[in-house]
Amino acid sequence: METAKLLKTIADSVLNMDEEAAAKYVKQALEAGIDPMVIINEGLIAGMNQAGKLFEENEYFVPELLLCSDAMYAGLNVVTPHIKREENLYYGSVVIGVVEGDTHDIGKNLVKVMLEASGFRVYDLGRNVPAKTFVEKVKETRADLLCLSTLMTTTMGEMKKVIDLLEEEKIRGNVKVLVGGGPVSSSFARSIGADGYGENAAGAVRVAKEVLGIPQTRAS
Amino acid sequence: MALSEKTRLINVLEGKPVDRVPVICPGGMMNMAVLEVMMATGYAWPKAHLYPKDMAMLSLGVRDLAEIENVGVPFCMTVEAEAMGAQIDIGTETTEPRVASYPIQQIEEWEKLPSLTENHYRVSVVLEAISILKERCPETPVIGNITGPISLATSLIEPMVFFRALRRKPKVALDFLDFVTENLIVFARAMLKAGADIINIADPSGTGEILGPETFSEAVVPYLNKITEAIHASSGYAMVHICGRLSPVLPELKKLKAPVLSIDAVTALRKVKENLPEKVIMGNVSTYLLGKADPQKVAKAAKMSIKQGAGILAPACGISPLTPLENIRAMARVVKGDYGDC
Repeated sequence: METAKLLKTIADSVLNMDEEAAAKYVKQALEAGIDPMVIINEGLIAGMNQAGKLFEENEYFVPELLLCSDAMYAGLNVVTPHIKREENLYYGSVVIGVVEGDTHDIGKNLVKVMLEASGFRVYDLGRNVPAKTFVEKVKETRADLLCLSTLMTTTMGEMKKVIDLLEEEKIRGNVKVLVGGGPVSSSFARSIGADGYGENAAGAVRVAKEVLGIPQTRAS
Repeated sequence: MALSEKTRLINVLEGKPVDRVPVICPGGMMNMAVLEVMMATGYAWPKAHLYPKDMAMLSLGVRDLAEIENVGVPFCMTVEAEAMGAQIDIGTETTEPRVASYPIQQIEEWEKLPSLTENHYRVSVVLEAISILKERCPETPVIGNITGPISLATSLIEPMVFFRALRRKPKVALDFLDFVTENLIVFARAMLKAGADIINIADPSGTGEILGPETFSEAVVPYLNKITEAIHASSGYAMVHICGRLSPVLPELKKLKAPVLSIDAVTALRKVKENLPEKVIMGNVSTYLLGKADPQKVAKAAKMSIKQGAGILAPACGISPLTPLENIRAMARVVKGDYGDC
């Protein structure tokens, strides 16, 4: 198969949630001598971007997006050993988690999937994460971005607590903060001093790139 | 003569005429326990999750102090999960109990899960609280709250594993949902037997927004209907609360057999009512407004919900325990005409 066609087949395998096909065609692409970074960007990530677009258009929902990401990872597992300098893979690093008091992490997991798929290195702290843990992880990883999520009205206050603690520790200027989740809105984000608000997983990636000054790629 | 709180709400559920719209906070995920009432009554979380009298008195306290027209228990979504093997963190005065660890990791393991029984301590606390409420306030509707099937399933196994299984191993996932539903029916029947008038089913993880219309109609609607039918067969009334944007699943919602659909603030009530004229729509005063705005703004939002066709006035979702009492009271007083005509 020619390069362009092979890359499209890889992207389609991701879009069609087919793990086996994704792994198989990535292997073929490597054997054909295609640059691993091209396989990732123009094959796997292109497919995931299309899945994200369908998610935004209400064609795909959470289960579909999860299976697409499984297929993407199946391909990534084949291709990553062939990359020399792993660092070059990433736009930046992100610490993400659900704030303390909340254990709903569906939204957070989707944002994580989409961020990884878009080329960010993601440190996932899970759910029910105390403010202190967020701040420590940001320090440790020198993260460019901190993403806070909550599904509950009851725990929205925790988001401000994290931002206040970043201020206290004098590292607020080093990291951009995005917030998201069911009850959160852009006006709430502004009111607590966050840098941005992600309405959904794909939206979060857009805003992440925006606040970090990274050019948007087309979801073609 | 004014109707009793109970007659009014039941009349709405039966489609009979009423003097005015009732106002309620059902309980469960949509619970009404706020810190001010805990302070005023001395019945507080987390103790009120564990002692029947505390549970009942806290709910009664909200009815009296916030002037809402029902009582309802429990105040969380972890009772069924704990009875079926999950480990629970009981929370604090202002944070709800939550699942700390799932009893199963793989979907195939569901057959190992214990069944919910009336004797489980968390279940028995709720049942006893219902009996106390029934006795204390016979003219107030008592609402028993259960967790919806998808939300319970995803309290027993990591949600991501479950959602994948819905697509990859649908037979196993649906068998698991059947099992979960049977257990919920046991709980709902026991609540009705203990004196509950109405069962409210809230399934925040089982929304059309998360699952999409196809999965919603296969994995949500039939199970909610099974529970609804069991409730009706035991002479109870069923309410269903669906979170999130409803537009992707409006046609599917028509298939729900419960007479009442409670909705979130993100969906315009008028649009839902237009699409489901035969259903009583309950809602949908923004919980954010209830938590942060002043009573005037809350009253305005409440009047808007009624104007758009709400048959029962209620918060749009679970309210924060830090919600000011005066805001809930403002919502409650709107139906009584304190803020002018609706």
